[in-house]
Amino acid sequence: MRYAAGLRSRLTLGIPAGLALLLLVVPLVALLTRADWARVPADLATPTVLPALRLSLLTTSTTAVLCLLLGTPLAWFLARSDHAATRWVRALLTVPLVLPPVVGGVALLMAWGRLGLIGQHLSPFGVQITFTTVAVVLAETFVAMPFYVLAVEGAMRGLDPRLESVARTLGASDLRYLRTVALPLVLPGVASGLALAWARALGEFGATLTFAGSYPGRTQTAPLAVYALLEQDPAVAISVSIVLLVVSVLVLALLRGRWLR
Amino acid sequence: MRGGLAAHVRLTRGSLDLDVELAAEPGEVVGVLGPNGGGKTTTVLALAGVVPNAAGRLRVGGESWDEPGTARPPEQRHVGLMLADPLLFPNLRALDNVAFGLRSRGVGRAAARERALAELARVGLGDQADARPRELSSGQAARVALARALAPDPALLLLDEPLSALDPDTRARTRSDLAHRLADYDGTTVLVTHDPLDALTLADRLVFIEAGRVTQAGTPGEVLREPRSPYAATVVGLNLYAAEGDTRGHATTDTGTVLVTTNPTAGPVWVAFSPSAVSLHRRPPEGSPRNSWELRITDITLHGQSARVGLAGPIRLTAEVTLESIAALGLRVGLPVWAAVKATEVRTYPR
Repeated sequence: MRYAAGLRSRLTLGIPAGLALLLLVVPLVALLTRADWARVPADLATPTVLPALRLSLLTTSTTAVLCLLLGTPLAWFLARSDHAATRWVRALLTVPLVLPPVVGGVALLMAWGRLGLIGQHLSPFGVQITFTTVAVVLAETFVAMPFYVLAVEGAMRGLDPRLESVARTLGASDLRYLRTVALPLVLPGVASGLALAWARALGEFGATLTFAGSYPGRTQTAPLAVYALLEQDPAVAISVSIVLLVVSVLVLALLRGRWLR
Repeated sequence: MRGGLAAHVRLTRGSLDLDVELAAEPGEVVGVLGPNGGGKTTTVLALAGVVPNAAGRLRVGGESWDEPGTARPPEQRHVGLMLADPLLFPNLRALDNVAFGLRSRGVGRAAARERALAELARVGLGDQADARPRELSSGQAARVALARALAPDPALLLLDEPLSALDPDTRARTRSDLAHRLADYDGTTVLVTHDPLDALTLADRLVFIEAGRVTQAGTPGEVLREPRSPYAATVVGLNLYAAEGDTRGHATTDTGTVLVTTNPTAGPVWVAFSPSAVSLHRRPPEGSPRNSWELRITDITLHGQSARVGLAGPIRLTAEVTLESIAALGLRVGLPVWAAVKATEVRTYPR
């Protein structure tokens, strides 16, 4: 009796669990089986793909640098502050995480577009941001920065606050403590935050398409190129998809192996 | 010559209402003792500037560090801080930990390294300069933390239970290292401890802080002779009672027990006698002792060749007897015994 009951509950849980796994794995397997590995190198060198990959590399790297330079100080303030406003800032930060990317793109247009909140003050100087590579970077930073800030803030909150007290009695300014002690200690957090943010930026599609368009060589990043190629040349689209999949898995492996355990 | 320490720490933090004055000459070590939660650590953190000393004042070496309204932040005070947890920067080598304060204060790289190395050598760790904190033993880490606190030559050195995290052997060795190092430090040291041995061997004067107030301040000799709070009496190992004395040699404690003494003091008094002055008997004692009570043994602890016997009844007291008497009298917890103290052993002094 007990065995039968066990079996039944195992099936009740096991079947949906198996289905969930299938839903996640089958598409990946399908992509991998459809791939023609031999032609991947040649496909990557085609005139549509190569600029897109180059653009993706350029914009995601710029995004990562922006996260590092701007996101680290933000994480620092969030981690140290117990002010009520901090909770609101942190809540605000998570909005881009759950926002539909297209809505993010529309929001970016409202800010940086020709008639946007900021854009209207730029256009008299002949500065146009929409549909440029700068727009791609802005879109990627918008979606990726929260990943970075939350990861680094978490790591910084894990630091013993007494270390800072000791550092201050030793005459260290905030900046010196951050540079010589706090940052080196949260380096794993910084690295995993960067990897997460970079991977998110690499996959960015909706906000980029809405805000920056899909101009080859200028705003057409690798994911946009895949979408465009799917109609013109599906085999090449699959090859690029494979590359993006491999890169994502590599980032994940790097994270798990070194920092997530 | 630098000026000493004149501090008035006055703040509230949680349920703690702290109002404590500390003073010391340059080169002196002030031992701060008291029960946990009484405000020792908060006092130290307020002196360091880590906790705001809301209504207090602080002058060190002739400079004002803290006045109501104008408090210097920790980085602009000249303090060294060392806690029970050595809190070395785990990413820096021992040498760079010690050089940290010098570098923060603008000393050049080479000069800072040289001074840090000398400082490490002074605590016997010249050969551990390249060690990472996790490679050091607890005693070594404590010594590096001391070297780090002292390297910038602070005017005020704050040690909060610096030895409490160490095992007994390491503690004894580190205590003598610390005594050695403090002997040629010319600034003022505030040493928080709850170890009587630390207090008596390292401090020039003692301050007891209980429930946010100073209950006694004096030299170790004064405290040993005349403790002025039950906590202080425990630290120096005396039996102590608050009592009301008369001129004929009687002192009545708060619980109504009358003690007979040959050195009477009239008015509110402290009554003290040593545990070794207490003799224990299985029967009512005869002869000279005029203080005797039938009590029950609550605990027995061994200290080398002697034992401390805790007793409760009309009066609570501790007796110190030899291991032989423990065996001869068959003493054990729960046993009723007679405790006797000669009147000549009972001292009284004004409260």
